[in-house]
Amino acid sequence: MALEYLPIMAQSSAPKPPRVLVSPSKPSWCAVEKPVNQSRVALLTSAALRLNRQEPFAPGEDLTYRLIPSDSKTSDIVIDHHSRIGPVPRQNPEIVFPMAALASLAAKRIVGSLSPIHVSFMGGVRRHHEVENELAPAIARELKQATVDLALLVPY
Amino acid sequence: MVKVPAPRAVFVDYPVGRTFGHPGDHRKQEEILTLALAELANFTEPGQIPDLHCQWDAGGSRSWEEELRTLLLSDR
Repeated sequence: MALEYLPIMAQSSAPKPPRVLVSPSKPSWCAVEKPVNQSRVALLTSAALRLNRQEPFAPGEDLTYRLIPSDSKTSDIVIDHHSRIGPVPRQNPEIVFPMAALASLAAKRIVGSLSPIHVSFMGGVRRHHEVENELAPAIARELKQATVDLALLVPY
Repeated sequence: MVKVPAPRAVFVDYPVGRTFGHPGDHRKQEEILTLALAELANFTEPGQIPDLHCQWDAGGSRSWEEELRTLLLSDR
């Protein structure tokens, strides 16, 4: 039985109102055109992580994103997300953002190739309309420009 | 995730914030990523969430849930 996070998060964020679940207004399904071993793969993370030389995310409702070059060093990664779960992933961001594992799978030809960029944004934002209509399309444009076939989101 | 159907999602029964295992366990990170990507060909419609059958505690203990609940509800 999976742990029910929503009641915990509601209690955690009190006295702010509990989060509202919002489904996308449009279908998000699209066909897979290539097998994984022929696909260019990018990572997405909602951990609000960035390189230490990039501008920090603002606490809370930040709708910006950061492009993380896929050849970045894990030691240069900073996690800005305000969640209390932060201390463990800050020891090793690869457990929420497996850049090295993905690079290894590309070297073994389990995935076709690495996207030149991965993308990071702030999870837990309550401005759902802007997430769907501004942030998500902007990230999609970045991924298209990088000719990415598959994007794997690791929720935080 | 069940209530807000994603186009394609997999379930990793690990604590939030540790989706790819314990810090430094590179083998596990690669294993979970491989399992997740291998599911890609099996999806036929949005909302399906295959379980990757990951177990956080080798003995099957779920004490991590209470530890995580305590952490999430702790004062900053």
